[in-house]
Amino acid sequence: MKPRLQIISGRRTDDGCQPALTVDGLGKVFPSGSTLLPVLQDISFSAAAGELICLLGPSGCGKTTLLNIIAGFTPCSSGTFNVHGRPATRPGPDRCVVFQEDALFPWLTVAENIAFGLTGRTRGRQAIRAEVERFLALVDLQAFRDYLPREISGGMKQRVALARVLVLNPRVLLMDEPFGALDAQTREEMQNLLLSLWQTFAHTILFVTHDITEAITLADRILIFDRHPGRLRSAVDVPLARPRKKESDVFHHFYRRLCNMLRK
Amino acid sequence: MFSDHHSARLLPWIIPAGALLAWIFVSTSGLAPPYLLPHPVSVLKAAQVYIFGTADAGPYAGRFLDDARASLLRVALGFGLAALLGIPLGILSGRLPAVRKLLSTPVNALRAVPGICWLPLALVWFGIGINTTVFLVALAAFFPVYLNAAAGARQINPLLYQSGAMMGVGRLRGVFAILIPGAMPQIITGLRLGLGIAWAYLVLGELTGVPDGLGAVIMDARMLGRIDIIAVGIIIIAAFGRLSDLGLKAGLRLCFKSARRIP
Repeated sequence: MKPRLQIISGRRTDDGCQPALTVDGLGKVFPSGSTLLPVLQDISFSAAAGELICLLGPSGCGKTTLLNIIAGFTPCSSGTFNVHGRPATRPGPDRCVVFQEDALFPWLTVAENIAFGLTGRTRGRQAIRAEVERFLALVDLQAFRDYLPREISGGMKQRVALARVLVLNPRVLLMDEPFGALDAQTREEMQNLLLSLWQTFAHTILFVTHDITEAITLADRILIFDRHPGRLRSAVDVPLARPRKKESDVFHHFYRRLCNMLRK
Repeated sequence: MFSDHHSARLLPWIIPAGALLAWIFVSTSGLAPPYLLPHPVSVLKAAQVYIFGTADAGPYAGRFLDDARASLLRVALGFGLAALLGIPLGILSGRLPAVRKLLSTPVNALRAVPGICWLPLALVWFGIGINTTVFLVALAAFFPVYLNAAAGARQINPLLYQSGAMMGVGRLRGVFAILIPGAMPQIITGLRLGLGIAWAYLVLGELTGVPDGLGAVIMDARMLGRIDIIAVGIIIIAAFGRLSDLGLKAGLRLCFKSARRIP
């Protein structure tokens, strides 16, 4: 049996600060006919507060399932995970997801979508409006506040999706290939936007992607997944200084290294 | 030439105007004798007497207001009942497999029974009068309202629920902030179909010897051979059906953001 990977990066953690997320021996099986199909096997890692981790792997390796488990949408079959030291079973605003597809409420305007999560909380109308304006400005969508989701582009929709969860001030941000459906140029814009927001708010981010370039551009650390069953193969720190230029030699060098690791 | 704007405003009237012209042509040229198809002018005269006439001016003079009031009340009560039962039950069965399994056999069996079969039973149960009509209207309008609400609730994108859950939305708010707005397009379709059927069954219910109502007038006119009054009744029901559909849409748009913003 392979030794369990236990990688805890302390780079961004202050002394005495507990990790934002610990995942320990997590497994998931789906019933398939009369047998059980293992989708995730023995996943263990932990994320320091404010760390940006990319989960990289081919489709079908269970990355999305892992994200759904941490979000609380799907129960896990074995193992545990803690968010800031507490087990979390139900979905909640401390772990927000940006989905790959458009998951905005189609009958609400951009501003109303961003306000949606705030409305249930005990807050004044004025305070909510101020928060919404602030985040509209952060994602540069003030001019589109009264548009409906179907009237704006895919990139703008993902900006709204980002703003509507950032406004809730989540501890952990879970992103499931959020820019996968965008064109290359928009994707790069969104990556820059995400990095600048991350530098402002210092959320812990788990970012699922199958795009190696995207993982290198964004991540502090890359967790590489195998499939059938989904297993954590290795973890790689990304030592490149930010901002990372895709054209630079160090980037290419790291890219080739990562490709070799994935091929193994 | 017409601009796009003008032709768009004309478009809804082309078929009614064409039908009217064809009617005038057929009647004036004598292709159809007046006892089969009365001339539009005589129908117009009959309508004028029916709507504006004083009670002593003839058999149907001045009855319009009373008939319309009686029929509208029956449609409103029957349709209201259908909506009140159909929407909540539909949404429940769309979301809860247990409710769906519980209801699908009886609903789909009863749905197959033609409405007219209920008429004799309804007469025995409720007697002649408003109750029978309201029962028939409610029964017939229930099915499209229920089935569409169920379909609407079932096909809501699960990501919307997950979004709600992660944003801390509770069960109750989830129903009113996600479920109902998400199912709104189908709910509206169901209500509009139901309202159309409500008018059909109104006439069926009023065939049975009630003294007032638009359906009663049509039946009565048939016995007396007043085909012009039959035509008047049909045109008035068509107009009421169209107006009530527009009213329903406008009302829903007024009350629900999600109804206003359907593409």
